[in-house]
Amino acid sequence: MMFSNDGFLTDKTSSSNSGQTHVFTSFPNSAVDPDDEHFGNQSSDTDKLVLPLPATATDAKPEQSYVWQIEYYQKYFQIDTQQVLERLAASVTPRPNKSYFDSTIRQNPDLYGPFWVCITFIVTVGISGNIVNYFHLPDVEFQIDFSRITLSAILVCLYWWLMPTFIYFFFRWRLNRIEYTFLELLCLYGYSLAIFIPVSVLWIIPINWLQWTLTFIASLVSGSVLVVTFWPTINSDHKRLSAISMLVVLLAHLLMAVCIMFVFFHISDSNINPKSVTTLATTTLSSMSTLTATTTTTATITPKTA
Amino acid sequence: MDTDQAPFLTTSTQGIDMIEGDITLPSNRTNSNELSTLDEPVLDTIKRDLGAVLRKFGYAVVPRHSSTLLQQWDLWGPLILVTTLAILLQSNATKSSAGAQFAEVFTLMLIGSIAVTVNSQLLGGKISFFQSVCVLGYCLLPLLLSAFVNNILLYIPTKSTISILHIIRFLVVMAAYAWTMYASVQFLGKTQQPNRRMLVLYPIFLFYFLIAWLIILHAHPK
Repeated sequence: MMFSNDGFLTDKTSSSNSGQTHVFTSFPNSAVDPDDEHFGNQSSDTDKLVLPLPATATDAKPEQSYVWQIEYYQKYFQIDTQQVLERLAASVTPRPNKSYFDSTIRQNPDLYGPFWVCITFIVTVGISGNIVNYFHLPDVEFQIDFSRITLSAILVCLYWWLMPTFIYFFFRWRLNRIEYTFLELLCLYGYSLAIFIPVSVLWIIPINWLQWTLTFIASLVSGSVLVVTFWPTINSDHKRLSAISMLVVLLAHLLMAVCIMFVFFHISDSNINPKSVTTLATTTLSSMSTLTATTTTTATITPKTA
Repeated sequence: MDTDQAPFLTTSTQGIDMIEGDITLPSNRTNSNELSTLDEPVLDTIKRDLGAVLRKFGYAVVPRHSSTLLQQWDLWGPLILVTTLAILLQSNATKSSAGAQFAEVFTLMLIGSIAVTVNSQLLGGKISFFQSVCVLGYCLLPLLLSAFVNNILLYIPTKSTISILHIIRFLVVMAAYAWTMYASVQFLGKTQQPNRRMLVLYPIFLFYFLIAWLIILHAHPK
């Protein structure tokens, strides 16, 4: 009795069998887990409903991965270069009839784009702020002020995380359904910050009206993309509430841009003291958070009284 | 062991000769040197390790297709480079902030390496953390050379805010930055699938740009 190449026990000796190595390619019946058959049937049925993943998605069967392993988070990074570029381009073009959300993000929300857009934004704001300082304070020994950069980093990351949280809970409690998962909202908001990266480089130009115009245009464009995405969902509610909530989204976007501009770039007079600018920024930040909280609560309260 | 699996595990005895006996190797001086380097003189160890570090510097400066940097990684080169860079970037600071300034470069290097490696692993790359730190550190050599040149150029006195000297310094650092990017693309770009190569290279681009920016900003200690 000899083992042939496919592992079965036979009486013939195969010519290529060295007799010392056995490759098991088939197993006795007891090795098959009865649960596996159900798994196999289910995956073949639902395969037709799943939209195609990017070309580089792994085909391996999902193994058990834990929170402390990298593989657990790999499912949020299944994305190709082409898709990232598509999403970046779509985040600055508001199209009322065709929602880019449904065509790009909904199948495959990723965390790569939003994270690196935020980091790039913080880096460009820091560097451009440095350049602005260099031109306006020529006598001072030129050092990087890390406290400002930290402040802007906290502001941007808070905005990126808090707004999706508000919107997620707003949809859940007010409309009683979860139209967008938290991950998709994060993805949306992350990509919506992409337009501010070239704008932050243009903010170096010390012309007052130009800075304000840039701020308004950029926040209007990316805010309108957000509004267009949310509109079909929120349109089912009261007209006044939907208008107010969309206005809140736009205003929060504008406020974030204005805060960044004030902290780093705004030169209205030549004697700007860095310390006063930082305290101004912190007060604006706290007022922004309270403003957002109060408008959301008034938006939820007023329709009940109406 | 299950009883129905037992027949699958018995081996056939046709055509196998039984080997028995003791296995001994002839005690040879060269063989024991390959197995254990504890007994060699310290100078030999230092020369061998230094040679490996210098060879890796050569691979980083003139990027050839070589797997030495990735497979035989070591952290001596990055340590030397980052320490030298941190010393070069010291400016006229007060005693309290000098330590913080020195640590800034190290912190940037550490956080940048962690971010680049985690990003590469999340996107499916097969590179480990220390391999990535090794490559990122060794490819820093052109930027270090440009920091040297920068410091030397700063000794030439200049009065205006923007002079030809500033432009020369900027160009030198940018050229070193391009060289560094080219070298690290050769090594780290190949560990990733072509569909995602740009996604992996972009954080490296940001990381080296930040270090180049630190070098450009460095002013002369008065």
